[in-house]
Amino acid sequence: MVNMQRRMTSKLSLVLFGLVLIFSAKAQGAPPAGGGQGGGAPMGGIGLPLGFLEQNKDYQFPDDITKYSATDFLMLVRRTDIRSSFYDSDMTATITTVSVSPDKGTFVRKEQIFRRDKDDAFLMLTLEPESRKGQGMLRVDNNMWRYDPTSRKFTHTTLKDTYENSTVRNNDFRRWQRSIDYSVEKITTGTLGNYTVIIGELKANNDEVPFPYIRMYIEKDRKIVLKVEEYSLSMKLLRTAYYTQYVQIGNSFVPTVQIFQDGLIPEKRSQVTYTDISTKPVPDYYFTKEYLERVSQ
Amino acid sequence: MRLIHLKLAARNVRRQPHRTIALGGAVAFSALVMTLISGFVNGMDSAIQDNVTLYSGGHVLVSGYTVSWSGRLQSRFADEAVANIVQSAYPEIRTASPISQTRATVVFGSREVQLSLRGVDWGKDELYHSSLILSKGDWKSLAAPRTMLMSAQTAARFGLSTGDAVLVRLSTASGQQNVTDYTVAAIYDDGAAGGMSTAFVAFSDLTADLNMKEHEQQAIAIFLKNSTSAENAAQTITKALSEKGYTVSRGAAPTSGALSASSESFVSSVVGSGAAGTAATGTTTGTAAGSSGAGASRRAAAGTVTYYVSTVQELAGEISSALGSIRWIGYAVFALMLIVSATGISNSYRMVLLERTKEIGMLRCIGYKKKDVFSSFIAEGILLAGGAALVGVILGLPVGFGIGLVPFNPHGDFGTALVQGHLKFVPSIGQLALILVFVTIVAVAAVFLPAKKAADVVPVEALRKTA
Repeated sequence: MVNMQRRMTSKLSLVLFGLVLIFSAKAQGAPPAGGGQGGGAPMGGIGLPLGFLEQNKDYQFPDDITKYSATDFLMLVRRTDIRSSFYDSDMTATITTVSVSPDKGTFVRKEQIFRRDKDDAFLMLTLEPESRKGQGMLRVDNNMWRYDPTSRKFTHTTLKDTYENSTVRNNDFRRWQRSIDYSVEKITTGTLGNYTVIIGELKANNDEVPFPYIRMYIEKDRKIVLKVEEYSLSMKLLRTAYYTQYVQIGNSFVPTVQIFQDGLIPEKRSQVTYTDISTKPVPDYYFTKEYLERVSQ
Repeated sequence: MRLIHLKLAARNVRRQPHRTIALGGAVAFSALVMTLISGFVNGMDSAIQDNVTLYSGGHVLVSGYTVSWSGRLQSRFADEAVANIVQSAYPEIRTASPISQTRATVVFGSREVQLSLRGVDWGKDELYHSSLILSKGDWKSLAAPRTMLMSAQTAARFGLSTGDAVLVRLSTASGQQNVTDYTVAAIYDDGAAGGMSTAFVAFSDLTADLNMKEHEQQAIAIFLKNSTSAENAAQTITKALSEKGYTVSRGAAPTSGALSASSESFVSSVVGSGAAGTAATGTTTGTAAGSSGAGASRRAAAGTVTYYVSTVQELAGEISSALGSIRWIGYAVFALMLIVSATGISNSYRMVLLERTKEIGMLRCIGYKKKDVFSSFIAEGILLAGGAALVGVILGLPVGFGIGLVPFNPHGDFGTALVQGHLKFVPSIGQLALILVFVTIVAVAAVFLPAKKAADVVPVEALRKTA
């Protein structure tokens, strides 16, 4: 009897110890199980609400676009979020950004990006122009840095910051998560060029989302975002994003050509083009400051 | 030293005017240069502090940072008691008023510029009225809602004039994008304000733009009756806030000195409450300099407010330390000049000794003692060098004030050290007195050896040799 009690106590201790380990790991922000390998385990993800990916899989959208409810539209936004991102694999691509500004003329940059959407992490390395080669940007564990190889210094940056004073924001290189940040206020339908679109007016769920209001134009058939208008707190149009070309890779639809036009200075705009997209696993050490420092030399 | 020694010294100084002018001129020039250096360094120091006060908004700044629901630091606080504690903590406060400041993009047509935008209470902040010179518009028109006071440099870049409407794009205190309209009501001469490009609007307008509640503020700007007591005031205010249970830290706020509407920094730890006296808390932010990750440290609870008390001297620190170097270079030049002058004085008095050997012998024969000869030589040195130094200092004053009238480029390297595009000359009586005393001591030291040799002259020998 005493032996049985001892065995029970021992097993219970082991279980409790295991639970303590799991909760400690979670509390310390450890990566989710399986996240240690390049490419990571399917499903799951940092900062995603429970069931974010699963709930959307079999969601039945109304056939008649006039029948869309707020929930339907939010699930549609979530689908565009999921399909533009890579939760089952890593993503590598070459990005060419052409920025036009009335003050500064035209500026072209070429970068290589490594994205791990399930961890909301990315690494970006500048390839061109030669004068900026080796500069980089790293986002990991909700922290974000820019690296300058000349001064060999990391400077803290944020997703809200503009990218090289253009109409592109750092947030544009990240996975999409509009369905997490916004709730639906109003839905209408319309056409955009030859496409029938569902137009949703969304309001930010909290006061830390950079654009308090957005209006999304989502194509009815392919369920892809064609245009997003971003508004200020005072409801002034700040920026319009056009997603003019998509490429399907597996289950994902990557907007390969994105145009961002300033709302206050319409002549100021940028075009971001994704090429050489790959879903091969990226080693974990890519998403470290040490790697960025080393590769920039 | 008796009156007769001084009389004899005065006669000797007058006796050889050319030599006196040559020697005195060298000493006077050294004193003049030192007067100019000390006066201009004082003036630059004062100008830098005034200009930095304009930049920062006050002699002492008490800024509050609140931890948001997500753990981000937001430049805002909503405790009206803080202003009362600050006011009552230090009696030498002239004004204490709330200010807001953020980085903003001002858009006019298809052009845009990033600048600091400060919200001020025009009724309370006296410094702006006395320090800024309006080149267009007037202070009265700034009382109208949604009006802006813009720097001449920015206005010229845009081709803006009073009455023009501009768009202002900024981040709210929580980090949301906002765009509002303003009308340029006045333009100030930035050249006369150390090249400052900050644009000013009414405090209530900027607070609304930053989406802050009416009772919220970012910082309290304190103007003191005497700016030199800023450090003392900051310590007293820090102690008073700490004693009331507030978490206070001395030094600039985490966003590199200037206020910023929203800081993306995460508070990684707030340790304990401040100890009496020092009141410093171990607050660190998760910047790039930090180690690896926010996970390693616990986050502060939402709503936690940390106050930072900084002084204008701290903000002016780097520039002022450069001035310290200039001051030391000035001392070195002065020392070199004194050495050259002292060598000249010493050599001259060696010659004087040879010339006056017979005279010294006769003086000794009629009853002059050794110490009388020694004293008359020393008195001559003091009269010559002291008089010359006095002339140099007195001449330095009009020269200094004259240079102060010469206009310099306010946008140049030393723009921040200028007042309305001019060097400020602030001679200090204490420093001038020190120059006089120092020159006189050096002169005495230079004359000492010739005077001792003169005193040691044997009268009979002197008369026989020069007979």
